Amino acid sequence: MKSHSEHFIILSPIGEIEVSLLSAIAHSIKRIFGFPTQISSLFSDISFAYDNNRNQYNSTQILNQLSTFLPENASKILAITDVDLFIPILTYVYGEAQLGGISAILSVHRLTESTPLINSDAIISERICKEAIHEIGHIFNLKHCKDPACIMHYCRCIGDVDCKSDQLCRYCQILLTDELVKYKKVNNCD
Amino acid sequence: MSSIKILIVDDELIMRESLAGWLERDGHIVEKAESGEEALEKIKKTRFDILLLDIKMGGISGLEVLKTIKENDSDIEVVMITAYGSIPTAIEAIKNGAFDYLLKPFDPIELGIIIDKIIKHQAQERENLYLKAQHKDRTRFESLIGQSPPMQQVFNLVQDIAPVESTVLILGETGTGKGLAAKAIHTASPLSEGPFVVVNCGAIPEHLMETELFGHQKGAFTDASETKKGRLELAHGGTIFLDEIGEISMRMQIDLLRVLEDRVFYRVGGTQPIRVDFRVIAATNQNLEALIEKGIFREDLYYRLNVISFTMPPLRKRKEDLPLLANHFLRRFSQETKKQIDKISREAMDEIMVYEWPGNVRELENAIERAVVIGKHRSIQPNDLPLFKNHCHELSGGTSLKDIEKAHIVKILSDNNWNISKSAKILSVDRSTLYNKIKTYQIQKTS
Repeated sequence: MKSHSEHFIILSPIGEIEVSLLSAIAHSIKRIFGFPTQISSLFSDISFAYDNNRNQYNSTQILNQLSTFLPENASKILAITDVDLFIPILTYVYGEAQLGGISAILSVHRLTESTPLINSDAIISERICKEAIHEIGHIFNLKHCKDPACIMHYCRCIGDVDCKSDQLCRYCQILLTDELVKYKKVNNCD
Repeated sequence: MSSIKILIVDDELIMRESLAGWLERDGHIVEKAESGEEALEKIKKTRFDILLLDIKMGGISGLEVLKTIKENDSDIEVVMITAYGSIPTAIEAIKNGAFDYLLKPFDPIELGIIIDKIIKHQAQERENLYLKAQHKDRTRFESLIGQSPPMQQVFNLVQDIAPVESTVLILGETGTGKGLAAKAIHTASPLSEGPFVVVNCGAIPEHLMETELFGHQKGAFTDASETKKGRLELAHGGTIFLDEIGEISMRMQIDLLRVLEDRVFYRVGGTQPIRVDFRVIAATNQNLEALIEKGIFREDLYYRLNVISFTMPPLRKRKEDLPLLANHFLRRFSQETKKQIDKISREAMDEIMVYEWPGNVRELENAIERAVVIGKHRSIQPNDLPLFKNHCHELSGGTSLKDIEKAHIVKILSDNNWNISKSAKILSVDRSTLYNKIKTYQIQKTS
C-alpha cells in the first residue's frame, strides 16, 4: 500500500515556462490537494495540435497525447504552455482538463494580458496558480462553482480571475475531500 | 435545481465532443446526437432543459427539428448553432421559437451568458407552475382516497408512521399524491398543530435556494433590506416537506445534510446559530440510488433521508379506485363550475378504466375538470375525454370486434396479474362471464 505522499502530480512545461512559476504552482498544488509534484517535460513538440486557420493550438489533441505519457507512479499530469489554446467549438480556452480523468493543460498566454504596471509579476503568477488549481480541480471531478470567490469559479475575463480567491469554497472543499477519499480507496493508499 | 440537462445536436463529431466536454466541466449533464432524427428520438425518451442545435445537418435540418419540438409544445429551450453564412436562417429560427443563436466557434462567455439566461427563465417558469399547483393542492387534500388494497396499505402505513416522528422518504411517480401523503402523515402526527412547510426543490431557482431554506440577515447582500426567515426556520415545531429532493444541487445537499444531522444552521450573513426541531419528509419520483451511482446525489444524505420509505402506487396499479376518484372529482368540479353534470356515462367510464393514466391522479383530476368544463350533457360522454384517443392502445384497421374484445381482456388480465375478481370488476362483467370469455377466446396465462 502506497502512502499519500508517494503519489505525485507531474508538472509538464511545454515551451518557455519559468522555473519560479512552476515552483509557485507546485506550492499551490501541495496546499490545496496535498500532493507533491515532479517537474518533468513529457514532450515539447506540439505542432501536431497547431491549427493554421486559427493560429492556435487544439488543447484536446494535446490532452489526449498527454494522457499516454503518464508514468506508472504518477497520479495526474498538468501541462503548462505559453501558446494560445482552443477547443473546436470555442474561440479560446485558458485551459482544458479531463473531468475526473488524468490530464489537464493550462495556457499562460491570455493570463499575462491586462497586467497592472505595479507588481505585475506577482499578479501574473497568482493568476496562473489559480487557474492551474482550477484545471487540476477538474481532474479531481470538481465542476465550475457559482461562488465568484471560489477557485473553481469559471472566469469570464481576467478581472474575474484576479477577483476570485486562491481557495476552494466550503462546498467545493467538501466535494474535493470526498473525491480524495475515493482516490485513496481506488489507489490503495493510506 | 440540480444540473441542467443539455442535448447537443451536431453532425460534426469534433464539435459535439468539444462542446460536451466544456459543458460537463460547467456541471451540466450532457447527451449528444449526431442528427436531427436521433435528437427527436432522444427527446421522446428523456426530458432535456436545453437543446444546442446545429442548423445545417444531413437529414432533418435544425430548423425542422425546432419546428417539431415547438409543435409538440415542449418546454425545452433551443439555441441554434450556426456558421457565419447562416445568420438569416438563425434569425428565422428565433422567429419560430428558438431562444437564441450562437455563431461557431463561439466565445465561451457568450455561451455561459445564454445558458444562465435560460436557467433563470426556466426556474421562474417552474416556480410559477409550482405556486399554481400549490394553490390547487389546498383544495385537493381530500383526494387522497381509494379503497384498493395498495391504497389501504398506504393508509395503514401513514397511521403507523405518523406518531414516530422519524424521517420519511416517499417515492412514486408524478401525480400519485406524494405531497398528499406527506400532509396526511403530518396531520396524523403529534406535530399537527405545528406548521407544514413545503419546499419544492425542483421549482426554486438554485440561486434563490440558499436564502429560501436558510433565510438571510438584513444587509447580507444588496437586496437584503430586511431580515427574512427561511423555510427551515418556519418549519420549527412542525414538518418540513422536501418535495422533488432528487432535484437539489450538490452544494445544497451538503448544507441540508448538515442541518439534518445537527438541527442547527445560520441565516445567510448571520452569525447566530439557529436551532430547529422539525420532522423531515422528502419525496421524489427519481431513483435516488441511480443518482448516487451517477455521482449527483450524496449517499450520506440518502441514508439520512431513507429512514422509513414507501412508494405511492401508480393509478394503473389500482384501477378499482378509478370510479371512486372520477366521481369524486366530478362532484367537486360540477359544484365549482355550477354545472348540472351528475354522472359519468358507462362508455366514458369504460374509457377511463382502459386508459393507463401515466400522469396518475393529477392527470385524472385534470381530465375530469376539462370534461366538466366542456361537457354539454347531464353525464360525461367519451367525447368529453378526447385526450384518451391519443393514448389508448392502437388497433390495426382490419381488427374485428371480437379481436378487440379479446385483446382488451388479455390486457386487463395481465395488468391485474390474472386476478379474476379484480379483472371482472374492471371489465364490468361478473366472474363467470369472464371465465366464459377466457374459455371462448382460449386465452392462456403467459409467464
